[in-house]
Amino acid sequence: MDLLDNLALGFSTALLLENVVYCFIGVLLGTMVGVLPGIGPTATVAMLLPITFNFEPVTALIMLAGIYYGAQYGGSTTAILINLPGESSAAVTALDGHEMARQGRAGAALAAAAIGSFVAGTVATVVLAVAAPPLARVALQFGPAEYFSLVLFGLIVSIALARGSTLKALAMIALGVLLGTVGQDLYTGEPRFTFDQRELYGGIDFVSVAVGMFGVAEILRNLENEAGRTALVSTVRNLWPTREDRRRIVAPIARGTVLGSALGVLPGGGHVLASFTSYAVEKRVSKRQQEFGHGAIEGVAGPESANNAAAQTSFIPLLTLGLPAHPVMALMVGAFIVHGITPGPNVIADEPALFWGLIASMWIGNVLLVLLNLPLIGIWVRMLRIPYQVLFPMIILFAAIGTYSLGFNAFDVYAIVFFGLLGYVLIKCGCEPAPLLLGFVLGPLIEENLRRAMIISRGDATVFLTRPLSAVLLALAAGALVLAVLPAIRKRREVVFTEDD
Amino acid sequence: MKSVPDLVAGGIFVLIGGAFVVGSLSYELGTPLRMGPGAFPLLVGAIVAALGLAIAVKGLVAGEVAEFGPIPWRAIAAIVAALLFFGFTVRGLGFVPTSAVTALLTTLASKRVRLLAALAVTGGLTVAATLIFVVGLQLRIPLFGPWLGL
Amino acid sequence: MTTPRTFRMIAAIGVLSLAAACGSNGGGGAPQAGGGAYPEQNITIVVPFSAGGPTDTVTRMIAEPMAAKLGGKIVVQNVEGAGGTVGAGEVANANPDGYTVLMHHIGMSTAPALYSNLGYKPLESFEMVGLVTEVPMTIVARKDFEPATLQDLVTYVKANSAKVTLANAGVGAASHLCGLLFQTATGVKLQEVPYKGTGPALTDLVGGQVDFMCDQTTNTSGQISAGEIKAYAVTTPERVKSLPDLPTTAEAGLPGMEVSVWHGLYVPKGTPQDVVAKLTDALKTALADQKVVDQMAKLGTAPVKAEDATPEAHKKKLEEQLGVWGKVIADAGVKAQ
Repeated sequence: MDLLDNLALGFSTALLLENVVYCFIGVLLGTMVGVLPGIGPTATVAMLLPITFNFEPVTALIMLAGIYYGAQYGGSTTAILINLPGESSAAVTALDGHEMARQGRAGAALAAAAIGSFVAGTVATVVLAVAAPPLARVALQFGPAEYFSLVLFGLIVSIALARGSTLKALAMIALGVLLGTVGQDLYTGEPRFTFDQRELYGGIDFVSVAVGMFGVAEILRNLENEAGRTALVSTVRNLWPTREDRRRIVAPIARGTVLGSALGVLPGGGHVLASFTSYAVEKRVSKRQQEFGHGAIEGVAGPESANNAAAQTSFIPLLTLGLPAHPVMALMVGAFIVHGITPGPNVIADEPALFWGLIASMWIGNVLLVLLNLPLIGIWVRMLRIPYQVLFPMIILFAAIGTYSLGFNAFDVYAIVFFGLLGYVLIKCGCEPAPLLLGFVLGPLIEENLRRAMIISRGDATVFLTRPLSAVLLALAAGALVLAVLPAIRKRREVVFTEDD
Repeated sequence: MKSVPDLVAGGIFVLIGGAFVVGSLSYELGTPLRMGPGAFPLLVGAIVAALGLAIAVKGLVAGEVAEFGPIPWRAIAAIVAALLFFGFTVRGLGFVPTSAVTALLTTLASKRVRLLAALAVTGGLTVAATLIFVVGLQLRIPLFGPWLGL
Repeated sequence: MTTPRTFRMIAAIGVLSLAAACGSNGGGGAPQAGGGAYPEQNITIVVPFSAGGPTDTVTRMIAEPMAAKLGGKIVVQNVEGAGGTVGAGEVANANPDGYTVLMHHIGMSTAPALYSNLGYKPLESFEMVGLVTEVPMTIVARKDFEPATLQDLVTYVKANSAKVTLANAGVGAASHLCGLLFQTATGVKLQEVPYKGTGPALTDLVGGQVDFMCDQTTNTSGQISAGEIKAYAVTTPERVKSLPDLPTTAEAGLPGMEVSVWHGLYVPKGTPQDVVAKLTDALKTALADQKVVDQMAKLGTAPVKAEDATPEAHKKKLEEQLGVWGKVIADAGVKAQ
């Protein structure tokens, strides 16, 4: 069979000692920069790109890809341990993961994330090997109208990220979307809400928002009652998931993997939707809905699997069509070009060893990540024993350095201050930050696609309903909104009834 | 039954949403075919303000009485000062002095800080940060900046 | 504090092993004897665009041979934002000592028309070092787009100007400029559909969501040769080696439509002349390097001729281009601000 021959070629390439070594260096660096706030995979890949000019092309791409998915792994560690997400997907992991850490179950959370990611990565690699070209064709059916509807659906779904009031969650989502409009308008180049500061032309950086609303706000809350609190974590209970935990994560991992693999294929923003759609699904199907937000292991396992699966399948448009879906992949296109390979649909046929070697290396990379991360869990958990008086200055300093290093832009650091204070006040008022963060990430996508769809349809707004895929997604969004609002109304009625009695 | 947090939250949403609405009016609104830069922020700003109003009204009518809780003024001051200091001086003073002062200011956020411990934390973090970011990750920030005249 | 220490070790090992692996890369030999002290420290070339993009790639290609010639180390730094004006503004205000160099492309000549409060003036705030390369552009369309030739395309857009969509990679991007020039050359006003960069624009072109666009060969040649998109013409006076069957715009009947993404090196005004001369010299050496020529050929471009890699030729090009784009952009009524 062709597939077996191809995989054999892939593994024979990926298992060359040199390639395994650079794959390891890639995932190791990825994990490190994922753990540190700020410096993300994009900056790292950009920094290392020139070094890879001297490598074999396949080795270079294996390492760069390793940095990308390694960072997806590392990001969850910081989110779980200190509630500091570096990417939107990690913000989802932080919700229940950090709660688990506070309850002394950081080990179980980290292990669930690692196992989920590994399973998802393995399945997604198979998907990539078996069905990449047809899936890429499907993805191309998604035009601006479909992306608008998809992202709107995603925004509604993210109400599920909040524990409390639906109204406040909606307001936080909308506020996030609004903050996402700061910066130069894509369509006219006009700077919006930038107060004539050229540093703001590129918009507010996600890392500033996340570090402020999660990291700084969390620290301020911890410092409210210092007398009553000595350590961040009560006691570390079991390091590994219990039998009960293991039973509970099986289905979320499976669902998350399927969901992530599917969404990851869409180059226009499917990847960012993966983890929190999975969270919303888990919360809805769970019999223990009240546990979500208070340390439900399903809320870590599902989104982490979805995220890693999506990270893997988001390579499909790049590998089969030469179309990058993420800034890291745009950099990898640069790497292709420098090595004299024209990225495009011909890569599979012209460079089979490179194509299949890269796919095989992703599975090897996932094995390496598990081998690397499981032993590290013990060390990470021990880090929680660092006295809080050492830990919080470390978080603040590293966050400031990491954020500054994004673009050597002091505004990114000032933005932390703004969002830290805003987040702190809003959290005290019962508004949770996760929906805002997702609104912030998805807002630009929704505006961009709304305006683009309107231009292409010549101002005809019915395009969102006449294109079947878009109509289905809009119907789903409407359904999700009803589902989210109904329980609140029903509860209100119950309250009214009890008072009447 | 008034809920102070609801009123505050509602107020913030109305304020920010309103500010964006006002701001977006100074940009072109465009046509449905070619929406201008002001159209989308205007729409979303109005939604935020409306939701804020709803939250505030709900807080006035049917709010759950909730305490705002203590506010750690000292921590806020110290952390804000530390971050602003970092932003203002990292270019001029360079990585090492800026990191040290930022770390020191941050340690002051805790009420239980002791001088010796604070200095130890500052020293440790500065060394660690320098080794991780400058030595390890090759960040291009000078160790000591031009303001020091070195 | 075990963790930071472990961390540090991991970090150090990672980076050291990388450094060891790439051995000679970027190190550069001993400083050359004689001829003043420059360079005594690392030279930074600021690229005002994201890493991995065509401009960044070109910069990294020439950085190594330039460093070898100068006898120092060159660091490439990406300072993105506002169509390259953030990075350019930073270099304009840098110390004029030759240690901060700017690589900029055609955007240097379009910024004054696009941005009203630029904070620097292309001709007055910089010393020109020399031109580097001119990357050709291609006019491409979704594969099932009706017109078969460039002539057909012109007729078609004239007849269907309200219907045809023209994609670009954002305000001020090369694809945007090329699209403007196309509209000027044909006298038709089209519906422009901006994207955040070339990747997404090309994705929608391959997916058939938009009709046509104009972009650098670097970005389009893979899709063209695979038949995913259809190409009408290349916008330079000569055909490109990587796409030998593609006619030039002049051959295809649209002679007014010539544009290339030209790149040049700049230093802040007031940089000593001998330093500029050394940089020009190093640039010439780099452009003559066979490895650079080969790498650029793979990008579908070539180094400029030796006489163009000079401050004089560079200045002439910039002056001419400022005039061209000032008019095109003003006619189109585009304003970034």
